[in-house]
Amino acid sequence: MAALLSSSSFRVLLLVLAAAAAPRPAGAGPAPRYAVADLPAALRENAHAVVRQQQEALVVKSVGRTVETTRRAVTILDEAGSRWASELVYYSSLNTISYFRGAVYDATGRQLRQLRSQDIRDISLSDGFSLATDARGRVADLSQPTYPYTVEFEYEVVSANPLFYSTWRPQPVEQLSVEQASFRVTMPAGLALRYQERQLPAGAAQAKTTQGTQEVYAWEVRNLPALEEEPDGPAVGERTPSVYTAPSEFEVQGHAGQLRSWEDLSRWTYELNAGRADLPPALVAGMQALVQGETDERARIRKVYKFLQANTRYISVQLGLGGWQTFPASAVAANGYGDCKALTNYCQALLGAAGIRAHAALVRAGSDEQDIRTAFPSSQFNHVVLCVPLTQQAPADTVWLECTSQTNPFGYMGGFTGNRHALLLLPEGGRLIPTPRYGAAENRRERHADVFLDASGNATATLRTLRTGLEYDGVAGLPGLELSEQKKYIGNRLALPNFTLNKVSFQPLAPTAAVPGLTETLALTLPGLAPPSGRRVFLTPNLLSRLPVPAASVGARQSEVRLDYAFTQLDTIQLHLPASLRPEQLPAPVQLTTAFGTYSSQLQALPDGTLRYIRRLEMPRTRFSASEYPAYLEFRRKVSAADKAQLVLLKTDA
Amino acid sequence: MRADFTFFISVASFNSLPAWALALCTGWLLTLTAQAQDAPLRFGRLDAREAAALLAVPTPNSAAAEVLCDFGQSTIQGKTEGFELRFERTARLLIRRQAGYEHATVRVLLYHDQKGSREQIRQLKGFTYNLTNGTLSKEPLRTEAVFSRKVDERLDEYAFTLPNVREGSIVEFTYVLISPFLFNLQDWQFQGAIPVRWSEYRTSIPSFYRYKELSRTYWPFDVNETGTKPYTTLYRENMHSLNGNLPTGSNSTYTIDTKALTRRWVLKNLPAFHTEPFMTTERDYLSRVDFELERIQFSEQQAPQFIAGSWAEIEKELLEEEGFGQYLRATTPLSTAAAPLRTLPDPAARAAAVREQVLAAVGHNGTTGLHARHPAKKVVELRQGSAAEVNLLLVAALRAAGLEAQPLLLSTRSHGKIQTELPVVTQFNYVVAHVALPDGQQLLLDATDASLPPALLPANCLNGQGRLLGPAGRWVNLTTATPHLLYTQAQLALAPDGSLRGDIRQEYGGYAAAEFRLPLPELRRHWQQTHPDWEINKAEVLAQEAPGRPVALGVQAHLPGGPAPAPTLYLRPMQQLLALSNPFRAAERRYPVDLATAPRTECTLELTLPPGYVAAELPANVQLALPANAGRFFYHITRTGPDKLTVVARLQLTKTYYSASEYAGLREFYSQALAKLTEPLVIQRP
Repeated sequence: MAALLSSSSFRVLLLVLAAAAAPRPAGAGPAPRYAVADLPAALRENAHAVVRQQQEALVVKSVGRTVETTRRAVTILDEAGSRWASELVYYSSLNTISYFRGAVYDATGRQLRQLRSQDIRDISLSDGFSLATDARGRVADLSQPTYPYTVEFEYEVVSANPLFYSTWRPQPVEQLSVEQASFRVTMPAGLALRYQERQLPAGAAQAKTTQGTQEVYAWEVRNLPALEEEPDGPAVGERTPSVYTAPSEFEVQGHAGQLRSWEDLSRWTYELNAGRADLPPALVAGMQALVQGETDERARIRKVYKFLQANTRYISVQLGLGGWQTFPASAVAANGYGDCKALTNYCQALLGAAGIRAHAALVRAGSDEQDIRTAFPSSQFNHVVLCVPLTQQAPADTVWLECTSQTNPFGYMGGFTGNRHALLLLPEGGRLIPTPRYGAAENRRERHADVFLDASGNATATLRTLRTGLEYDGVAGLPGLELSEQKKYIGNRLALPNFTLNKVSFQPLAPTAAVPGLTETLALTLPGLAPPSGRRVFLTPNLLSRLPVPAASVGARQSEVRLDYAFTQLDTIQLHLPASLRPEQLPAPVQLTTAFGTYSSQLQALPDGTLRYIRRLEMPRTRFSASEYPAYLEFRRKVSAADKAQLVLLKTDA
Repeated sequence: MRADFTFFISVASFNSLPAWALALCTGWLLTLTAQAQDAPLRFGRLDAREAAALLAVPTPNSAAAEVLCDFGQSTIQGKTEGFELRFERTARLLIRRQAGYEHATVRVLLYHDQKGSREQIRQLKGFTYNLTNGTLSKEPLRTEAVFSRKVDERLDEYAFTLPNVREGSIVEFTYVLISPFLFNLQDWQFQGAIPVRWSEYRTSIPSFYRYKELSRTYWPFDVNETGTKPYTTLYRENMHSLNGNLPTGSNSTYTIDTKALTRRWVLKNLPAFHTEPFMTTERDYLSRVDFELERIQFSEQQAPQFIAGSWAEIEKELLEEEGFGQYLRATTPLSTAAAPLRTLPDPAARAAAVREQVLAAVGHNGTTGLHARHPAKKVVELRQGSAAEVNLLLVAALRAAGLEAQPLLLSTRSHGKIQTELPVVTQFNYVVAHVALPDGQQLLLDATDASLPPALLPANCLNGQGRLLGPAGRWVNLTTATPHLLYTQAQLALAPDGSLRGDIRQEYGGYAAAEFRLPLPELRRHWQQTHPDWEINKAEVLAQEAPGRPVALGVQAHLPGGPAPAPTLYLRPMQQLLALSNPFRAAERRYPVDLATAPRTECTLELTLPPGYVAAELPANVQLALPANAGRFFYHITRTGPDKLTVVARLQLTKTYYSASEYAGLREFYSQALAKLTEPLVIQRP
């Protein structure tokens, strides 16, 4: 293509010229700020960016209006820190941006330029699935071609939605250090601030002061060194200082409420959504007819839920107060679609028509989301589900219904909504209740494989894998894909270096099973699975379930270890050998029992000449201190070694 | 095509040609005949019997939804003081399963300019049909289900969703899109994420406009017809705009009669398209037809206005534009700083020095495109710019340094292949610098990525051919000989328990060097991820300073062995060091394999055996090659001493494009090579 360039030694010359090419601000300019030379070495260590100064202020003007201002200066040390060079400020029909300013400084602290309004882009923050949303943002990018440099952003957002107050989290992620950060909240007379402090170093909180009729709260931190995220550990944001704030009283678009307890939030949300349950009379009659003659309570609920799933779909519309208030049930009846609030409200109405009482319950949904902070009543939710108490059961039981999915198994709260707290919405004020949690017994992967090896080392295999509970979550969508896409998806995830996937099929567990499950059946060809070497053939009988050792950390483990996901793996592999091979050496059985998990594997020669490998791994839900991490690693190393154990086969005809 | 509007803004002035210029201008058209064709789909006319028949045909490949018919028509019609495009689309889809519900939501993008001219959607209607026990229900689309949203400064999105969609629903919608932007004749995509039973597009363009077509398809068109038909439209003229004495609002209407060129394309029974690994962009594979306004001529007597004629004309226009050609003439602090570099005698070194200056002065903000948005001075002041801004500044600076530099246009891999026989500027979305060297050699330079050496273009630019502008205008091949090279060199000692320990040097060369020019913790993390069985005792970066040199990671590592010493040890060291898997996972492939760079993996291992042990059985040495040497594999073991072995493995592809018919061989080649790498070495204590 192009002639190769010799890398001659023009580097020194270049640096001089590059400096000459850099623009100069007109006149002397402002005095230097944020010089990188002023940074303490401890803050540079392990950091891609340093928060030099951050001042956040929340001024509560009234129950209906808040003003949030932020000023943040961040020094970007290298390319990996350049995400801090741009800033996105959200707005919507309830939040407006009063100003958005910025400037950028070179390493010596000399101002290079100021952000101008024409450099700010206005973007739609469509989530990609909502049919309509009013979420928008303004974005400014001050990134520079050479490092280090410092950016400074200042903006103010006026909100007519004081259901949400600020959360102060000056060090939200890893590899970011903080030189100085402060947070001030100003409350008007007669309105109390509610707040919760987390991980604050000594002296960070300052006494409440009074300024005229207003009360001022202030917090400040200095010199927080950068942290490293550790595998199976808490998020860095949980290990660093934060202050959560919330209103005690608020008003959104004429809907006033109190927020001193979970009951308050429950009552307000209930009232906002009340009176929207009317259904067309024909539909009411239809629901009554649907459950007529069905005496089992659970079966009645199941019938109504099945009707919901067959006749509706999820369409998200998030505009203004519509983010909290449902469309009427009659609209869903007419259109056959709605968002989470509308579909839950509709399902509640359908159940009501069938004579079944159900309650909406707010949750913070998401497979990566932490549970809400239960000790701090505030608006922490993004989703709503339906909770149906069973009245004829002893002991008391509850059916949980996810109303936005046409395929979610009846009563199942998977990784999206399970194992967390939900707030019941009741006219008298509801409380927090836990959603279902699935443990090692429910989250199972059971695999049965038959492997047929030929004399030249190639093999064919059939694999039957049942996944239940949260293991099922990951494959729940597979049967919905086109056949060729199913093959592609599975092929991309098989931990085998060399194979051809010939057949894929799925069979779900019966809908009455206690937890949902899906059996996947695969037919594979495995060229060169066990290539012969002279008189011998080598094979790792554990075909697919190798648990890797966690990467060794560079220093000592800092944070506690959280193994929040409990699961069980069971593998049975039947090896069918050609007549020309017999086992020379079987790996010794392994049995490990620890607090971190239990493991066993063994290989047996059966009378019919086949070999059977059985492996069992059970990992409980557990948390333990950093000091126990080496013992845990040792357990994982032993599992990994056992998983790789080789079987040696001898050629009988050699 | 929608890609680039600034170029054609000048077209708008032609819309206001006086009406009397629109004399009959039929004679010079090709006289072709066209049969009037019935529409393949009549909106709102579906009965239970037909619905049952549609439902009875199984959906291919068990897809969740399918397009029964998608029908589009475009024409041009007169309006007040000009013309406009009219695009009508009618579609019918079958929603087979819940996973296909999303196809009942439709999103349409509408363009508008800064002056307030905008595309508009009209006559939107829709129906959902559900067949229950032989009865077909029919429910209309409701207006409250229609939303519009601002996407950015130029685009709005119009989204609507159909009501009461269930498994087995048939949904229909129709709308008309009116566009004042005559350069934006709607493209048509025949294929999509779900199978298509019938997709049809027709255009009917009056003789005074002419568009170029770019069609791409892997499936032969079932219909591809050209014809003519009589054409009539009304054109209104505001009289006061000609004669100030007339009362405001007076106007006259003219009837224009001419012939229209008609085109009709049909594709039937298309499978769903899904992206596969080693593709450029889906646009290169999907069946589609795109248009570009080529010529406007209102009468035979009048000279035609060529919008996009030959490559030469396109180049001429580009070089006059503010956001392109004028950039090259602007004096900026960058060109001033480059001028003293004239003293560097070696032109290649000089070009590299200029590029270094540009890299240090202006960062790339991640956007591509052919045209600069901001003036050159402003980009230098902002210290960041688009790829076009950065590289046009580079061309100007190279010239200031006394080099013979020209812009070279190309299309990135994510933008699609160039059809060189079709001179259409929107085929390009990227510009780099071309420098002609005195010895007849050439350099291609890009200043968007500092991790690349000057001789390498970003991998996304390696896409067929680029168009060199200037007096020596021609096509330049962009294929690179530089591979994506992973080279491993290891000195390992085997212990009686089967464990391995020693030094491993992992080099990343060619295009891999740019990818792996990372800080040590990230390099170490990556190596550990790809080699999970190894325990790293120490890792250091051995070389990474200069772009153009390989990145080298040095690792002192340990691979655990068995619980106790064993008399016989079985080793698969190449598998452990290379951690390769067959990249061609799917058994079959419909489309060609198109790689940016050719992968090459090499490993040299010097293995020391434990005292008292010997190599009892070793895999046979082997060499494999694909036909025409399109891929090569080499595996060789040498006994270099009584207790020493040297194992060498090399696996490489020698080209970047393999047709679908070569796929099976390519996959088998990897499969055999990988099988060889897993053959064990047997080490024994006699």
